[in-house]
Amino acid sequence: MDTKGTTTDAPPPAPPRPARARLRRLLATGASAFALLATAAAPQGAQASQEGRAAAAGSPVTAADRSRSLTVAVSQSVDSLSPFLAGRLVSTTIHRLVYEYLTNYDVKDARTVPALATEWTSSPDKLTWTYKIRKNSTWSDGKQATAEDAAFTFNKMMTDEGAATANGSFTANFKKVTATDAETLVVELKKPQATMTALDVPIVPKHVWEKVGDFSKFNNDKAFPIVGNGPYIVTEYKPDQYVKLRANETFWRGAPKFDELILKYYKDNDAAVAALRTGEVGFVQNLTPAQAKSLSSAPDIKVNDAPGRRFFALAVNPGAQDRTGRKFGDGHPALLDPRVRRALFAAVDRKAIVDKVYQGHAVEGQGYIPPRFADYHWQPSAAQKIVYDPTAAEKLLLSAGYKKNAEGRRVGKDGKPLEFRILCHATDPNDKAIGKYLQEWWGALGIGLKVQCLDNVTDPWQAGEYDLAFDGYSVNPDPDYVLSIHTCAALPSGPGATGQTDNFICDKQFDDLYARQIVEYDKAKRVGLVKRMQSRLYDTGFMNVMVYPNAVEAYRTDQIKSIKTMPEAAGNIWGQDGYWSWWSAEPAVGDAGDDGGKGGGSGPTLWIIVGIGVLLLAAVGVVVAMRRRTTAEDRE
Amino acid sequence: MTTESAPKPPPQDAPDPPLPAPGSAKALARARRRRSAARFWKQYRAHRSGLFGLAALALIAALALAAPLLVGDDVQNVTDAPGGALESPSGRFPLGTDQFGRDLLGLLLWGTRVSLAVGLMAAALSVAIGTLVGILAGHFGGWFATVSMRVTDWFLVMPSLVLAIVLATVLSHSIWTVVLAIGVASWPTTARLVRAQTLAVESRPYIERARALGGGHAHLMTRHVLPNVMPLVLAQTTLGISSAILTEATLAFLGLGDPDVVSWGGMLQDARETGAVSSGHWWYLAPPGIAIAVVALAFTLCGRAIESVLNPKLGVAR
Repeated sequence: MDTKGTTTDAPPPAPPRPARARLRRLLATGASAFALLATAAAPQGAQASQEGRAAAAGSPVTAADRSRSLTVAVSQSVDSLSPFLAGRLVSTTIHRLVYEYLTNYDVKDARTVPALATEWTSSPDKLTWTYKIRKNSTWSDGKQATAEDAAFTFNKMMTDEGAATANGSFTANFKKVTATDAETLVVELKKPQATMTALDVPIVPKHVWEKVGDFSKFNNDKAFPIVGNGPYIVTEYKPDQYVKLRANETFWRGAPKFDELILKYYKDNDAAVAALRTGEVGFVQNLTPAQAKSLSSAPDIKVNDAPGRRFFALAVNPGAQDRTGRKFGDGHPALLDPRVRRALFAAVDRKAIVDKVYQGHAVEGQGYIPPRFADYHWQPSAAQKIVYDPTAAEKLLLSAGYKKNAEGRRVGKDGKPLEFRILCHATDPNDKAIGKYLQEWWGALGIGLKVQCLDNVTDPWQAGEYDLAFDGYSVNPDPDYVLSIHTCAALPSGPGATGQTDNFICDKQFDDLYARQIVEYDKAKRVGLVKRMQSRLYDTGFMNVMVYPNAVEAYRTDQIKSIKTMPEAAGNIWGQDGYWSWWSAEPAVGDAGDDGGKGGGSGPTLWIIVGIGVLLLAAVGVVVAMRRRTTAEDRE
Repeated sequence: MTTESAPKPPPQDAPDPPLPAPGSAKALARARRRRSAARFWKQYRAHRSGLFGLAALALIAALALAAPLLVGDDVQNVTDAPGGALESPSGRFPLGTDQFGRDLLGLLLWGTRVSLAVGLMAAALSVAIGTLVGILAGHFGGWFATVSMRVTDWFLVMPSLVLAIVLATVLSHSIWTVVLAIGVASWPTTARLVRAQTLAVESRPYIERARALGGGHAHLMTRHVLPNVMPLVLAQTTLGISSAILTEATLAFLGLGDPDVVSWGGMLQDARETGAVSSGHWWYLAPPGIAIAVVALAFTLCGRAIESVLNPKLGVAR
């Protein structure tokens, strides 16, 4: 267009026009407000569109690369890559992939199957266990994995307290571990131990780890690739960004089908879902009900909703103490009264939590061990069960001496109103949502609740500075570990020190039962003991299981052709007891992935932003038009 | 009405109504103030965008004040929320519901209160600190000014959002923390402006006269300097509110607000955590976002209008 010729459009040269200046200002304000709005409302949208562009610009090379490489979105940051220290699910999942264990769990029904050990025998008194170590497992640096490595691992955990941080409960009862030759490992026990075929301890290479000085400080993140013998080898790690793993071609069970596995850290789960829609990641776990619902109708995405292996509980600080009985922390003294604990839990409507917060993607809580482990799952009898009953809670509080004052607050004999704090994980929306419900349920009883949502709950937790806390653990097929974390032996060595204890529980009756179940080789008898332990734990009221959340996850079918869940019938993919999912995952071949990537790029988020933009522009346009009309006489 | 009894001729070109006969010094001052307010309003009225902003603000303030009557406190209740989770807009819920089944329109109205309150208080705090530091530095000068202005510079170069995030993280999560965080992070610009204005005012001869007549530091600062920097402070406050509201929303969106109160930023954060963004539940996201933008825009428009009325030089330069 020739703009020079048409004088009507050109601004008059000489006098500065305040109207125009204002107009510009107005437009600028509008634009900046829109920019702010767009960034505030949907950071994922920007990411999605960037990804869309990248996918569009990318040549078939990237598509080909992707078919052999799988990116998994994780929301937890790695606490340590050292198997002696790691406790978080993401870290233990990595260790499952990187190191072999003596035994593994079958993907179908979680029974014990050979792993690094091919067979095992025990002496008649069950105090000496002999494991045959397989000959065809080699470390990624070429050395043969032998019984020496296993003996080194166990001996280290028995002699070095720092090395016993994560899995010390397994070796606490070991008397002597020796490698009689390269293929034979002999473990002598002080007392019988029921977990001898379920030792969830990663076996590390002796020739690498004997150079490590302080096991309580070494995080195994200095030299890459990390020497291992599992299906994958860690090649790169950036804290809070990603962990890169390469397929181990010499893995004895056969190399995995994907050449590369990337665990990418997403702080924001919605961003991870947006990335799944665009094909940037192939797998996302821990979906919210809304995400699961909308993803279930998305093309090339499969949503997996399976009974979970986690429990989600309301933990009560029983008065933090160390092994010597020294008290620390500042747990609320009122919670030491069992009637108060019972009243609090009786005012928690578990069914409402399942229906409203999880929207059906969970099962109402009963005993400590989730129903997925049908053998060990325990349910309280009708008489024992703390049912949802606010009036009963009211009565319990009255009997404990807490009356309502004139303002409706529940006050104790000292005249101070009851006010509790609850530790909540700022990264977990369910914690916050349930916190809101608790505030109202307990508020109706006149009890105040302060929800403390923190990014790092570990520090106040270890210091015992909490009244209540949202607590959850993944349970293994053998429940020994999740039971051991409530024994007196798991208490920290000193105030604030790291211990295996979950919630500072130290109960004689529970400990006695624990000691009896661990030496019980008869499965039926052991199950009975474990159920009695759960019954005891239920009665103490320090661990109140609210729900068992389902594992709600989704993966792209144009990237993953097939993947094994555990148990195979209806099971989870992320956080299995074993490496089955990622070892078995088969890449989808062909160009379907490329297609899906582009299709997801223009998801609804983009349209929302476009819509808001159009709306704002229209508003600005109206204002401009009105201004122009009013100043029409001034213009030539 | 007699025109000859006016003690002073109107200083501006505006044809103001003449002053009535003075009864006392106080009445005189009152009349003068009333007159200058009328003059201010007359000039403000000429700024159409300012009027738009003012009208929008009046409407929003009315909604915020009437919120308890319109929706009531129990709109925040989750246990007896009226709807299902994430319902789309309908006749019963014009903006749909959130993940707890609460009415989003009600929450939006309720959130107005927090956003406005925090915005006003934070801007007032920020301007109060800035004015105090600015006047003191401008009045006393010397080493005090050097030190306080270096501190100001230090705060000025520090990204205020980062500072606010740090403060909000360290302190407990409550709206007072957010007010404090925003106020402490955003005062340096005001301090700089006020100091410059103070220097300009203090160089005028009547200050010298007041000093010669025995006016002390406090008298000079409060009776002569402060009234003259007040217009600037007023404009700065109005502009500061919109940025304070945005910062409040940002902090709440980042999860650093008070989790127990409903605010617009908090609603955006809830929407994100629920997965409303990736699930396409636009009715959860768009209204609070638009509300933030509208309020920030309204305050900016008002602030700009006030600024150009009080400082005619700005209007010419632009």
